[in-house]
Amino acid sequence: MGHGQRHYRSVKEIPPVPKYALSLPMRLFYLGLVLVGLVTFLGALKIDPNRAWHSYLLNYFYWMSLGVSGVFFVALQYITTSVWSTPIRRVADSFLGFLPVAFVLMLVLFLGVSHLYEWTHPAEVLHDSILKGKSSYLNMPFFVIRNIVFYAIWFGAAILLLKNSLAQDKNGDPRFTLKNRKIAAPFIVLFALSFTMASFDFLMSLEPHWFSTIFGVYTFAGLFYSSMAMMILFVIALRRNGVLAHVVNENHLHDLGKLMFAFCVFWAYIAFSQYMLIWYGNLPEETGFMIRRTEGAWVPISLALLFGKFVIPFFLLISRPAKRNENYLIFIAVWVLAMQWLDCYWIVYPVLNDKPVFGWQEMGMFAGFLGLFVLSVTWVMQRIPLVPMKDPRLLEGVNHHQ
Amino acid sequence: MSNKLLGIVGFFKDPYHLLRAAKEARARQFKFCDAYTPFPIHGLDTILGQKRSVVPWVTLVMGLAGCFGGFGLEIFTSAISWPINVGGKPFNSFPAFVPIGFECTILLGGLATLAALLMFCRLPNFKSSILNESITDNTFALYVSAKEESFREDDVKNLMEKCGAIETRMVG
Repeated sequence: MGHGQRHYRSVKEIPPVPKYALSLPMRLFYLGLVLVGLVTFLGALKIDPNRAWHSYLLNYFYWMSLGVSGVFFVALQYITTSVWSTPIRRVADSFLGFLPVAFVLMLVLFLGVSHLYEWTHPAEVLHDSILKGKSSYLNMPFFVIRNIVFYAIWFGAAILLLKNSLAQDKNGDPRFTLKNRKIAAPFIVLFALSFTMASFDFLMSLEPHWFSTIFGVYTFAGLFYSSMAMMILFVIALRRNGVLAHVVNENHLHDLGKLMFAFCVFWAYIAFSQYMLIWYGNLPEETGFMIRRTEGAWVPISLALLFGKFVIPFFLLISRPAKRNENYLIFIAVWVLAMQWLDCYWIVYPVLNDKPVFGWQEMGMFAGFLGLFVLSVTWVMQRIPLVPMKDPRLLEGVNHHQ
Repeated sequence: MSNKLLGIVGFFKDPYHLLRAAKEARARQFKFCDAYTPFPIHGLDTILGQKRSVVPWVTLVMGLAGCFGGFGLEIFTSAISWPINVGGKPFNSFPAFVPIGFECTILLGGLATLAALLMFCRLPNFKSSILNESITDNTFALYVSAKEESFREDDVKNLMEKCGAIETRMVG
């Protein structure tokens, strides 16, 4: 209401939603990025395989988190019976397109585990009582199997949720909404467990002597924080090219911005909880991780994370107009995505080197993964109607106001 | 009380009629009209031309004051005024100060928000008479003050009735 926002009295009044198509030049551009990534990876493997695999792992985890965040967001909307998100829910649905790609990327990652994980070297495990004790969990067959199972859970739930919603597009049967709510509830529990274990497997086991029980929550905070940034970018892009122009208004952006703001604070809260308990307890088996990152050459990166991922976005997002202005939101979303990258870098790279390194290996592979993500997500977007026109909550969701 | 007319209040059965009346009142450029509703109605404040509240600014400023005050107190007492060695930690143990600094932020910000809210709403208020008890239940009211420049008794009454008021009452 107000501000020229149209109030629809029935779904029939909503102008038809055009089909989305990624233009050929853009498609070529993203294909080019994928090519750049591939060439970078192969070149980096020749020069310094350790660094190449660490860069690969960083990007894998970063983009896998974004891919799986779509399913989580959709499940969250169903379980909370959200109305506001109905017109933008298909954007999150489309993120499932990256999951099969991420699965293949994970299979490739399995080839490089000996460059990444100490616990994959039997000779070292034998002489290390701690690693020997952990070997019933940290062993290659179990590692591979459980991570394949995780993908089955994530992709399975994503497909089921989307399929029911697409079936609803035909007849508008509200039972599909209830069915999806029943899928969403167990999925969220399974997601919490599986994503925690995936974080333990891919990131925490880089330093297998160290452990932090809050680590899964930490990576989840980053997942949802960056997911909101990615959603904002996609929603604004789709709004500008006309697809969501009549169904999304500032109030939807405002709510996405609010969630991003909330998770900015949540991330800081979890990050500090992890840090303070380790700092206070001062136990040798826990402090190693933090000492490597808060002393010496990694201090600037840690401080950049504190200010860049919490303090600065907190004040940038605190005001109401900030969360309702498209251009401003785009700037913050890109900023947040950059900081999420820095967070993954902060976790992965201190294992590789005692000094921060940044060069073409990191930039090129990020570009490659970005290309894959956009291409696979838009591949789905081009094949589904981007607004669930017969969802029982659509009308109220389109008229979302405050 | 004198018989001078203070304003006119119209009672409505649902928010849609109230919104219509509010829009009409806004079109007449009334500045002092106010609405009373049992629950918040989206968009009503923009129609009535209400400005954004100052309360969030009070929260921000007092929250920051609480933050700096809390940290200041901790640093002053444990590192400057009376340094005590606690478990071999440095005197200025910033990580340990964060929870207390955070709590001070929330405490001062929260209390200041409540105080500012009461102040700006001029609460508690024991003087004003109650227009109608059901405006906290199922009735929606629009009040137009006689202070308005273009206030004409019959015009306002007409407006209310045209927009579907179930009752109009002179307040005075």
